Order: sequence, then structure tokens, then C-alpha cells
Amino acid sequence: MRERTGLIKKLFFSLAVIVIVALIIAIIIIYQPDNQETSNQRILNVLNWTSYIPDEVINDFENEYNIKVNYGTYSSNEELLAKLTSSREGTYDLVFPSDYMIDLMISRNLLETLDQEKLENKDNLNPIFLKQSYDPDNSYSLPFLLATTVFLYDSNKTGPITSYKDLKKPELENNLVMLDDQRIVIGAMLNACGYDMNDVREDHLEESLEFFNQIKSNIKAFDSDSPKTFFITKEVDAGLVWNAEAILAREENPDLTISYPAEGFALSMDNYAIVKGAKNVDSAYLFIDYLLRSDVAQKIVDEYPYISAIKGVESLPEEELERILANGAYIQNVGADIKRFDKLWAKYK
Amino acid sequence: MSQHNPETAGVSAYSQSKHSRRFDLFKTVFTLPVIIYAILLVLIPLVYIFFLSFLKSDNYGGYLFEFNLENYGEFFDSTYLSIFLKSAGIGLVTTFICLLISYPFAIFLRDLPEKRRNLIMKLVMVPFLTNSLIRTYGLITLLRKNGVINSTLIGAGVISSPLALMYNNVGIITGMVYTLLPFMLMPVCSAVVKVDQNLLDAAEDLGAGKFAKLFKIYLPLTIQGAFNGSLMVFIPAIGYFFIADILGGGKAMIIGNLIKNQFLTARNWPLGAALSIILLLFTFILVRIYRKIGGSLDELGGG
Repeated sequence: MRERTGLIKKLFFSLAVIVIVALIIAIIIIYQPDNQETSNQRILNVLNWTSYIPDEVINDFENEYNIKVNYGTYSSNEELLAKLTSSREGTYDLVFPSDYMIDLMISRNLLETLDQEKLENKDNLNPIFLKQSYDPDNSYSLPFLLATTVFLYDSNKTGPITSYKDLKKPELENNLVMLDDQRIVIGAMLNACGYDMNDVREDHLEESLEFFNQIKSNIKAFDSDSPKTFFITKEVDAGLVWNAEAILAREENPDLTISYPAEGFALSMDNYAIVKGAKNVDSAYLFIDYLLRSDVAQKIVDEYPYISAIKGVESLPEEELERILANGAYIQNVGADIKRFDKLWAKYK
Repeated sequence: MSQHNPETAGVSAYSQSKHSRRFDLFKTVFTLPVIIYAILLVLIPLVYIFFLSFLKSDNYGGYLFEFNLENYGEFFDSTYLSIFLKSAGIGLVTTFICLLISYPFAIFLRDLPEKRRNLIMKLVMVPFLTNSLIRTYGLITLLRKNGVINSTLIGAGVISSPLALMYNNVGIITGMVYTLLPFMLMPVCSAVVKVDQNLLDAAEDLGAGKFAKLFKIYLPLTIQGAFNGSLMVFIPAIGYFFIADILGGGKAMIIGNLIKNQFLTARNWPLGAALSIILLLFTFILVRIYRKIGGSLDELGGG
């Protein structure tokens, strides 16, 4: 009998534990707080690239407008796409997709049209960055920051590097860092062979592979997360990296030089875009308008030195900007041909 | 064979026929959270991946409901097959090095008093308290061109120019061995410690040296532990893409990277799913072989 009551006690105890655990699981799964109703404070759900807007800028916005910013991050356009398509409509308000992803999202009807009249500071934008190929009328997006691929090198050790052909130099053996991004690297090799970065012709792709194989032994590593570290620790003397990384690395190591590849390079423009079905559209406009202020834009590029789309913030002269936009090219959405890039990438490596 | 003992099993559950139903209910209720967990987080995703692997990609990270086997056919493309072979190569070398380290360590451990032995085994487990990604980043400080190892060796005058310890296969294998060694140490040590001292004494009396003892006594008696450890080292080694990325400089693509790319950059989930299923089948076959030669699933941590 004693054994039995013990057993029943145990049974009740375990039942209680299970009920509690099940309840907790159920609460976590079912209860997604509907922030809209929790208080009078307005909110804004932002999804942005990791390390792109300093925390200080967001805090200032929250204090000034009394809007709570829920800030989520992603590290690739594909991750952003997956997050948008797999979440309930209205989960996110404001996102920062790059050029080709804007194009793709418009075609999949994921973006709300953007009413420029609601933005008082829109005249701060440098018109040179408007009306780009992926959104010719800016009806869905406005430019935020421009990234370009550049060569970064220590000229004392490598001599000048201005063309992809210079990457074949024997003194660069095991001394080169490249972005770990298939479209960027394959695109660069296509440029090197005299083709467009978005070329999908089989023989041109093969040719790019041949060119790549000639510089392959020079490559020490592929890294997209923090290629600047390779230069700061003097692991490599040359590389193909994003402009902001290059500038940050040069701040640490003044021997470094930055140059634009002569045959062409990648441009990547990140844009403000409001998500279809966004619940906090007014807050989203306020936030965009806030980011369009010159002083705010300055704070952002001080921390992350990409090329700002705001007039007067970017120190590069107008002609230089024009030349960059003319010589660089946006990565385009290639549809089903992405599979061929992916397979080629496996061959590259 | 497995440790199934009919006598004890009978006493614990089945002979008490009066309580048996209540007992089963108790067991069922108690295991319910685990069952729910397994269904929600293992079975359902697995079924999802399985069906996904037969669908067609819409090139935008979604899929079209068109049944086809193309994704599996892709695997036999020479590009993907060579990645699989390279992964298997890295896995085999890692496993072999782990075995080489584990046996001398286990034999050394065997001669220690039990308290010290347990302490050392606990120390082996300590690094597991830190996330493996962080530990892998930590290795960079040791292995890089101007890292601790190279600057010490250059400072001591042993070498004149830095050794290439990372951003190549050496780096990948160092990282894999470092991360996976405990999975080999544990089964090998527990098997070696159990070897009967009388057998070793007898062998010594008959003139067996250290190597004869290793190959004629230890190895045959602990082969199950070694195979068990090998399985637990080899299988993760072909999939740990972050080690290949961080310590190999992203130059070597292993099967784990390939699958990751399908989900994150190529927007081709069905192919990623098919590759995952192939990897799973491969693992399943290895476990079958393990059981065929008499391994127990319990020793693999419940399989």
C-alpha cells in the first residue's frame, strides 16, 4: 500500500510538472504580444542589416518621438526575404533591402508604395542616387547607403593594384582576402574577363573560372564578416572588400591604399522600404524622415563609413560619385540562373 | 552484444503484473514532454525536409508542388560528389588523429587512481561549457600568422618565417580534432579502463612489449569503443561548416557549407533538403554497420 501511495504521489507530481511545462510551451508558442495594444506608446518594427545604424541614433529617435523601436537584424538579403515571407503580415514595418532585392520584392508584391510627400527631408537626398535601375521612379524605395567593392592593399609590399590582372602577381601568393560572396567574386571575375557581372552565358562563366584559377593560389581566405581584421593583424597585404571595411582598416593601418578596380566593380545600394501590410506606417515615415536629416546621416557614416545618399555628408566630389556609379554595376536578380552561379561557386572553391 | 539482461529486466517491470499497467501509465506520462519535444522539433521538421526534397525550387526560396527526383540526381553531379568526397576525407583524417591521441591518453589514464582519473575526465569536459563557435574563434588567436604559436616559435628562434597553421586544411583539421576529441576520448577511455588487468599481466609475462599489448590486447577488446567514438567524430566532422569557414578561410567547401548555401544564398531549399536527406541516409548506414558489428545504441547516447 505504501508503495502505491508513493506511486500516486509521484504520478501527481509528474503530472503537475508536465502541465506546467506544457503551459509554458503553449504560452511561448501561442502568445506573440500584440504590441499595438500594450500601451499608448507608438512602436516601429524595423528589420535592418547587422552593424548599420549606431544604437545612439536609434535611442535619440525613440526619445524624440516617443516611439519604441523594435530592432531586428539580418545578414543577407536572402535572410530578409525568408523572414518577410515566413512571418505574419504586419510583423515588420520598415526594412532595408539592397538593389536587386528591391526589384525582387516589388515583383513579389511585398512592398508598400512610398509616398515621398510625407518626407520633409527628402530634398536632402543627392539626386544622383535616385531613379536607379531597380526602382526607376522611386515609388517603393529611397536610397540610404551605397557600398562598393574596392581593392585594399599595402602598396609598400604589393605595388599598385588597380586591375583584376594585378591579383595574379606572384608576390601576392597566399596573401589575398576576398569577400565570401558568390555573386561578388564571380561577378568580379566576369568583369576581369571583360563581361558584365550579371552575365549568365555558359562560356563566359567558364572563362571566369579559368581566370579565377590563375589567382586561386594567391587567395588566403574568403571572408565577408570582417575582412578588415585580416589587414589589421597583417595576415594579408591585399584584398577585394567593401568600401566601409577598407576605410576602417585604413584608419588602423595608414600604409593601406584603396583603389577602384579598373574593369568594373560591384555596387550595393541599401534602401528604405515599407513592408506590405505594415501596421505602423506613420512611425516608419517618421523614422525615414529622421534618417534623412544631415546630422543623423553624418553620425551613421562616422561609425560605418559607407557612401551616404545625403547631400553634403559624403566628402567625395560629385564627379567622383558619378564615376563610381558609371563604372560600377548592381548585382541583378538572375532568376533560375542563380543555380548556375551556385554550382560554379562550388567549382571555384 | 548489448547489455540486455533478461533477469533484471524481468524484475524491474514485467514481473509485477499487478502494477504493470499503472507503471506503464506513469512511464508514458513522464516521457510525454520528451515525446512532444521530439515530435515538434525532430519528427515534423524531418518529414517537412523529406517532402521538400522531392519538390521543385521556385528560385525565390520557396517551392513549387511538382514531384521530381531531380534534386537527388544533382548530388551525382561531379561537382557535388567531389565536395562529398572531400568532406569524407577531412572526416577520416580527423577521426584517425583522434584515435591516435585517444589510445595513449586512455592507457595513461588507466594506471591512475580512480579519483584522479575522474578529475581528468571532468577537465576534458570543461571546454564544453563554452560555445564551440567562440572556441573556434579563440583558436584564431593561436594559429594566425602573427598569433601566439608563430610569434613564440619565431621569438625562440625555432623557425624564421611563420608557419601556415590556418586558412588551409591544417587549420580545418586542427579545429575539427580540437572540437571533436572528447567524443573519441570518452568511449575509448571507458573501454580501455575496463580491460582486465590479468590479461595485461599475462601478456607481459609472455614477453609482450608496449606495441604488442596495444595491438593484441587493447585494440581487439576496445574496438567497439573505438568504433563508437569514430562514428561520433566522423559524422559531425563532415557537417561542421563553421570550422571549415573560420579556420579554413572559407576556401574548402564541405557538405555542411553546401547545404547551408542552398538555404541561405542559392534560395534552393529543395536541393538543400535533398542533400540533408542524403547525409542522413549516409549516417544511418554507418549506424547500421556499427550495430551489425555488435555496437549498442545506448553507448552512442541513445542513437
